[in-house]
Amino acid sequence: MSGRHIPFRGQDEASLDLEVDFVVVGSGAGGAAAAVTLARGGARVAIVEAGAWRDPEDYPSSAYGAMRDLMDDWGSQVTMGRALWPVVQARTVGGTTVINSAICVRTPDDIFDQWKNDHGVSGLRDRVGKAQDRIERELSVEEVPENARGLSNIYAKRGADELRFPHSHYMRRYVKGCEGAGQCLQGCRGRRKQSTNLNYVPETIERGGFVVSSAPVDRIVFERNKAVGVTGRFVHPATRASGTRFVVRAKKGVVVAASVTHSPLVLMRSGVKLRALGKFFRAHPGTGVFGCYDEPVDMNVGATQGWASTGFREKPGLKLETLAIPPELVASRLSGGGAVLMQRLAEYRHLAMWCHAVRAESTGTVSQSLIGDKPVVRYTLDRADMERFRQGMILLAKQHFAAGAKEIVPGIAGMPFKLGPDEVHLLDDAPLDPRRYVAILSHLFGGCVMGKDENTSVTDGHGRVHGFEGLVVADASVIPTNLGVNPQHTIMGLATIFAEEMLAA
Amino acid sequence: MTWLVRAAIVMLYPRVGDWPGAEDCDLDAFLERFRRETTALMWIGVVLGSLVFQLTPIVTIFVPLPASLLSKEMANHHAERVSTTNIYLLRQSVFLVKLVAGMVWGGHPSVRERFALRPLPPDPGTWRTS
Repeated sequence: MSGRHIPFRGQDEASLDLEVDFVVVGSGAGGAAAAVTLARGGARVAIVEAGAWRDPEDYPSSAYGAMRDLMDDWGSQVTMGRALWPVVQARTVGGTTVINSAICVRTPDDIFDQWKNDHGVSGLRDRVGKAQDRIERELSVEEVPENARGLSNIYAKRGADELRFPHSHYMRRYVKGCEGAGQCLQGCRGRRKQSTNLNYVPETIERGGFVVSSAPVDRIVFERNKAVGVTGRFVHPATRASGTRFVVRAKKGVVVAASVTHSPLVLMRSGVKLRALGKFFRAHPGTGVFGCYDEPVDMNVGATQGWASTGFREKPGLKLETLAIPPELVASRLSGGGAVLMQRLAEYRHLAMWCHAVRAESTGTVSQSLIGDKPVVRYTLDRADMERFRQGMILLAKQHFAAGAKEIVPGIAGMPFKLGPDEVHLLDDAPLDPRRYVAILSHLFGGCVMGKDENTSVTDGHGRVHGFEGLVVADASVIPTNLGVNPQHTIMGLATIFAEEMLAA
Repeated sequence: MTWLVRAAIVMLYPRVGDWPGAEDCDLDAFLERFRRETTALMWIGVVLGSLVFQLTPIVTIFVPLPASLLSKEMANHHAERVSTTNIYLLRQSVFLVKLVAGMVWGGHPSVRERFALRPLPPDPGTWRTS
């Protein structure tokens, strides 16, 4: 029994009508982990993915190409709130695992306690842990090798160690033999990063499954309250022209793993009416602080993200890490314009950018826009989170100076462009208005949160949507709390055990 | 409207000394491609941002002229002020233009060479069709 890939079909082609045991909406960390688990259990699976299937040879090299080919809606999604902060997600087979830095962090123990005490979800700890053990082996998780660290990551470690930052370490990532090409954000053309389009998705096909690409799901098909398939219309990967319709019928169940912004919308469009749907959106908002060094750092040489500290996760509620960005993005990230901007850009080789991400407690909502099927994310950080945000900047500033930076560029509107070592105290009074910062929302949670109470959750602790049969959500949208660490491993662990339970049902 | 976007980008990323500006980076070909490939919403946003850039010298440097009619020195002054203004929506509008302009400038081989980076191979723009 061999499966196949079904790419875009134009309006002049026959519509697609397929029947399988399970259909999985989305092919990112959650969708691919669920699909391969179902396929290994002997089920016939179809993955239905909104984006096209691009192999490493198809990956773009430039940031422009990444926005065009790999990002959801050209990366133009921003939060609606006091500040317009970008919400970064991919739209391609492999989902965000294609454009992220493949950081692997196990679900912290206290998260399971929180889920149990605050949301009535228990019994996950050991099973998620076991699934994560296996995923780490399969996806060749390893520490960033010495030859791929690059100066930015090395300096970050040096600064953190100097200041005795807790849990300062070179990252463990789903990367096999990183060559330090600095191209994580555009997709790893060297096939070193183990994004799901290179492993779990093709394995699903090898086991007799299907991958339907360029196929955004419009709605789930129900028979009474049982999910029996999905339907939608193909969209051309380049022209965005509508193609023919598709229907994928599922004899046993539907798994929705379309991302935090799209999974709630798929359920809403399908007539699922639960009070908590689209609510309790959370994120890791963060920003970068540049350090200016005497000698060239060449941050784009080496792993895009290679160092992190998770030691501030509980207090004040932050994670710190390196993030190398190419000249295309630095150009817009530095403040100013005209000749002044050009002078600033000339320093690129001497800049290292390190970031913080806030384990924010603020919540927002995801809803559908009035025009079209785009998600609208309403989200603003409260004062306590903005104070954490500011503390993160102070820590990064001190870390840069401890590592030998001569100056830092905090990137706060209304503050001096550069600060020297004796001016770090100015950050103590940095504004708490989110509009003063160029920030980004990297990790998203919620929208279909799991829990015991139908009034405050969308799924139970097995990912099953309340009040429906055969309908499971298996992505970060079920996560009801802010993890404070990279969520990919948690998403994969949860999706795996939810799929195992579907097989056993 | 491409001319409007072009004018804003050239003023935001001018040629300085021997450093190439956006106009030295195959800007026209880039804008043609960008207009063709991007979403309508993104293009409208960039055009509006460029219009804001063009019309706001009166706000930033108190000169009642469109940005294109400013002297080089005044244009530089305006570009700096409008990119750092305290009026958030104004700053964000221009930020979008800066973001797009950064793609053409920062990705160009002549700029990458200055940063000791190899030229980027072309984006294939391909995907699995079978």
